[in-house]
Amino acid sequence: MAVTIGAALAVGLSALATGWAQSKIGAAGAAVIAEKPELTSTMIIMLAIPETMVILGFVVAVLILLRVA
Amino acid sequence: MILRMNKVRILGPRERYPEALRVLQDAGAVHLTVPGPDGRLLPLRLSTWQEREHRHLRRLLVDVEALLEALPAAGTAAGTAPEAGSRGGAPARLDLTRWAHLVRSLQPGMLRLRGEVAALAEEHALLVKYRPFLSTFGVILRSERAWPHIAAYHVILPAHEESAVAGLEAALTAVVGEGFAVETRRLPGGDTALLMLVPEAEAARVESLLAAAGVHEIPVPSGYEARSLAEALPRMMDRLESIPGELQAREEELARLAAQYRDELCHARRGLHNRLRTLDAMPLLGATRRVFVIEGWVPVSEGGRLAGSLTALLGGEVVLEVIDHDPRDEDVPVSLHNPGWLRPFEIIVRLLPLPRYGTVDPTLLVAFFFPLFFGFMLGDVGYALVLGALALILARRSGPGSTLRSLAVVAGACALWGLVFGVAFGEALGDLGRERLGLHAVVFDREQSLESLLLLAIAVGFVHVLLGLGLGVFTMRRHPRQAAARALTAAIVVAGAVALGALARYLPETALLPAVGVLAVALVALVAVEGVLAIIELLSTFGNILSYARLMAIGTASAMLAVVANDLGSAISVPVLGVLVAVLFHLVNFALGVFSPTIHSLRLHYVEFFGKFYRPGGVPYRPFGHWDPGAGRT
Repeated sequence: MAVTIGAALAVGLSALATGWAQSKIGAAGAAVIAEKPELTSTMIIMLAIPETMVILGFVVAVLILLRVA
Repeated sequence: MILRMNKVRILGPRERYPEALRVLQDAGAVHLTVPGPDGRLLPLRLSTWQEREHRHLRRLLVDVEALLEALPAAGTAAGTAPEAGSRGGAPARLDLTRWAHLVRSLQPGMLRLRGEVAALAEEHALLVKYRPFLSTFGVILRSERAWPHIAAYHVILPAHEESAVAGLEAALTAVVGEGFAVETRRLPGGDTALLMLVPEAEAARVESLLAAAGVHEIPVPSGYEARSLAEALPRMMDRLESIPGELQAREEELARLAAQYRDELCHARRGLHNRLRTLDAMPLLGATRRVFVIEGWVPVSEGGRLAGSLTALLGGEVVLEVIDHDPRDEDVPVSLHNPGWLRPFEIIVRLLPLPRYGTVDPTLLVAFFFPLFFGFMLGDVGYALVLGALALILARRSGPGSTLRSLAVVAGACALWGLVFGVAFGEALGDLGRERLGLHAVVFDREQSLESLLLLAIAVGFVHVLLGLGLGVFTMRRHPRQAAARALTAAIVVAGAVALGALARYLPETALLPAVGVLAVALVALVAVEGVLAIIELLSTFGNILSYARLMAIGTASAMLAVVANDLGSAISVPVLGVLVAVLFHLVNFALGVFSPTIHSLRLHYVEFFGKFYRPGGVPYRPFGHWDPGAGRT
């Protein structure tokens, strides 16, 4: 049970952090694209950068579950 | 690859610079630069007459382009019709006079015709809006003028307000008693046309009632100076019939003008652009009282041809020499030059500013790794086949060399790798391939072997980042400290990987001690070369390698969602409904499965890989040449 909760926290907390970071970048990105549409691709890449956190959180969660299994 | 450039200097007698410029414009190979500092050279400024010519040409060009815009397209989009005439150099004086005369003679008539066409089209569109009402109540409206002491009101109620008619009748009864008539007709669009007839004496009260209810009468179109709709009606009906004929006559006249003058106007536009380019290039020339000097960059492969053209056309009086330039000069213009099959992948590199001259064009590596990463994450035969089909359709519907064609080629390569990994993982629409088509995992099962998949993803990252560091050593070859830092970082990464491998017993234990030794020495050397902050950079490099875990994470998420789609479909007892739900879920997963790997492949390239060697900020190579209609304005 504790292991499952640990894995859930690993992915859940990192997802929250990613969401918070993306909300800030997304808002700024929308403003940038409104003024300079040519930066759309750059902003999409910027938006993807915080996803590293949730991806690593997911990896950690998988490792926790695998180690126990 | 980045095209190799030579810096060239072209010298000749001052009076021959116009011919030299013409040869350069015809060759279209020299990226002009201001000649190097020399006290004896002065910029070749435009004379007063040339400045006046520049202003005149600019105005004439604006007029010519306005006329071309006003002419109907003759089989191609307006303004982009194939240019008539040869790729001549500067226009003759006689041509300029003729073009100015042509513009003066065509402009008034053309603008009048365009104005009339626009006005007629607008009037017709307005009358068309009235047509349903006119055709519904035409007979009544025509006889309105004959009714003494009767006021008529014409209203169109939107479809959702049809029920308001009963309320309106009740309100009218309360105001004027039984002395009114209301006629309604359903119009083709669903709206309701409503005609109200009331005694003229009650008109003021009825109008107050309508205003209070927010009901507005149909306005009489402007331009029909009659007092009421009934009075304007006959003229409106007549105009509705006569406008198409008038419109057609004017459009035929415009088409005749287009057939007669479009080619010549296109020729004029090209000539004007070319002459303006020549005048704009002149301040980049240097000159003494007797000699002119032009400096610029020419692709190495073009130098011989250019020198030959100058000698052949100017008889040896104008010479071209290749001059030395500082190899660290980063202002050398950059032109990416790749074989045709590789060129579509340049769109990925061109999303960033161009690389600097003397560094690396990563197009070849991107062409290999981008689809590879995409395929690793998608890894599904079914989705890859759908993506391949979409790429094929896009390729057929796009022109050669267009951005859409490039996208189709990139998508095709991604689909191919998706297919390869789909077979390797034994996936087709998730586990459907294993259950129904007899597929089996050739390498390993993504759902079961998460640890292996993670190790593989990180191993791919290790190779990719190491390659980036190697390229970084090359691009920093003229900056020894930075090159050494990258080489030491690469050594630490390799030694660290070997040490970890030995600790995890993937490698022999005997490798541990040498690896730790190399690690320690390289670490000390790195700090000595770059300072303590190099440790942070080193940690970020390890972070970069771990970041490739996304290859596994996104791939697994996509595979799991596909399994969920299948489970959801099979859990529904009605087979048709189950298939429908599964198909919808797979469609969503396919959209995610294409979008997410694209973004993350891009990110792995731009952040993790390019960050190790890519130096943006290259000056784009823009040779002085003839105006190209497809490349924009002068």
